[in-house]
Amino acid sequence: MDIKQRLKAVLQEAEIYRSQGLISEAQSKYKDAVNIVNSIEKLKNKESLIKAISDKIDALKTTKEKVEKGPTTPELSQKAQDLIKNLFAFSESTDQDSAALEGAVALAKFGQFDRALTELNGLLKKEKVRVEAAKNILQCHLASAGADEAINQYQQWYTGDLFHANQLEAVRTFLEEVLAKKGVEANLPSLLETIDPQLEEAVVEVQPQVEVEEEFLDITSIGITFDAGPRKGKMVEFDVNFQSGNMLSLIISKQENELIETLEERMELKDVQFFSPIAIFNGAGVVASKTKIKTGPKQGDYCVDIRIVST
Amino acid sequence: MAIFNLKKREIECKVVYYGPGRCGKTTNLEYIFGAYKKQVKGEMVSINTEGDRTLFFDFLPIGLGQIRGCDVRVQLYTVPGQVKYSSTRKLVLRGVDGIVFVADSLEVRREKNMLSLKDLQSNLKEYGKSIFKVPLVMQFNKRDLAEQGIPLMSVEQMQKDLNRQLQVPAFEGSAVKGDGVGVTLKECLKLTLQSLQREFKWAQ
Ligand SMILES: Nc1nc2c(ncn2[C@@H]2O[C@H](COP(=O)(O)OP(=O)(O)OP(=O)(O)O)[C@@H](O)[C@H]2O)c(=O)[nH]1
Ligand SMILES: [Mg+2]
Repeated sequence: MDIKQRLKAVLQEAEIYRSQGLISEAQSKYKDAVNIVNSIEKLKNKESLIKAISDKIDALKTTKEKVEKGPTTPELSQKAQDLIKNLFAFSESTDQDSAALEGAVALAKFGQFDRALTELNGLLKKEKVRVEAAKNILQCHLASAGADEAINQYQQWYTGDLFHANQLEAVRTFLEEVLAKKGVEANLPSLLETIDPQLEEAVVEVQPQVEVEEEFLDITSIGITFDAGPRKGKMVEFDVNFQSGNMLSLIISKQENELIETLEERMELKDVQFFSPIAIFNGAGVVASKTKIKTGPKQGDYCVDIRIVST
Repeated sequence: MAIFNLKKREIECKVVYYGPGRCGKTTNLEYIFGAYKKQVKGEMVSINTEGDRTLFFDFLPIGLGQIRGCDVRVQLYTVPGQVKYSSTRKLVLRGVDGIVFVADSLEVRREKNMLSLKDLQSNLKEYGKSIFKVPLVMQFNKRDLAEQGIPLMSVEQMQKDLNRQLQVPAFEGSAVKGDGVGVTLKECLKLTLQSLQREFKWAQ
């Protein structure tokens, strides 16, 4: 293709990516365009062309920052909030209070903390959902204001008389655990300490062991980034010809001389991308064997076995 | 999470459009909203962020009328495709009955498609569902861009990348033009209702 036509095509591609909000892809295409312009020796308006493209790259940078920054979760309209409450409360029970609790929790999950807090505070009056409502109130505070606010809230409950001792204890252990995960150590006062120090053991929940069904992953191709040889730093993709467990066989054409030479037996491949129909993952492999194919249509090509060592 | 009201003979089920950022999920729903007036049962709600990207979800209720003596309603959702909204994506997926995976045909988005499918698989797994068992169809979107000379993956390539193991129905599409939007949805609804029928035996 004529170089000016190529430039036109690259610019058009960049423009489409930009219009679809594919910012990095557009940036990289515009950069390709700059390189092409630079490579054309005698171009009259070279400077202004480069300037124009660079402006586009800069504009994309600004857009990218905006996209990466956003959003500070917006306060939604009442209508949108109602919709979230309706759509994301999954209560199967027809019990009103539990359903109301789920609705409020849904609001919190979507960052609508003010309204969630109002509703959750209302639910504290209901014996049956009090503890759950309290836990979620604390979560709201943690997410919107931080640990201090949550601790303050607990202190208020501790001095108040809304909670029974065992209810407050459940809230206390919950908060301590959540705070511990955030690296905050809080020594929250307990109503129970003076009553029955044994009780805490009784509330330890046994986590049932869930058997996770491992799905077999079939790898269709791999991308090896070489750290030596003529293709150093480049990713080269190979189709997997055959797979048995963690052993992958690739066929490399005899034309790919330099690749075949680079891939020595026992060579460690530190940067490998494994492509499979339902997963793509990075890992490492080792060249397990390299054999020349002696007969058949692929005669002269090489069969290289790669063992996946880690993913 | 389909809701059955056997007395009233009503079913309400949930179909989610999943896929990488900018692949055209919202555009699919917008087309359905405009083109299937008779089926659409309410406003389309979109909660967006910067540059029309979905922040929480899009929502569109449709009705299929009576099917085997039952009034069938479907809630269509899209998830936000941007990687950083992973917890919202998971939330929207909860209770899903059927899924449309929209893949972007642009060559430059190849890896993003695969990562998103992987993300779908692991989110389903966390809800105790297997991607191999859930009603699922694929759409290879933006095929129209080939006319403009933009590098697209071939359908074979996309089948191999995304569908070799899953072997689910896959359709070419151009959501902006509306091509393939209807067949994709219909196939997904068919699979979804068949699966609900197997599970709940609602039809007479
Ligand atoms: N040419 C072309 N453009 C499309 C097609 N489908 C979507 N687009 C464009 O791609 C861009 C993104 O489309 P959306 O529908 O917002 O994508 P999305 O998947 O909802 O994106 P997120 O909400 O960020 O996950 C928009 O500029 C659309 O106009 C298509 O079939 N062909
Ligand atoms: Mg969207």
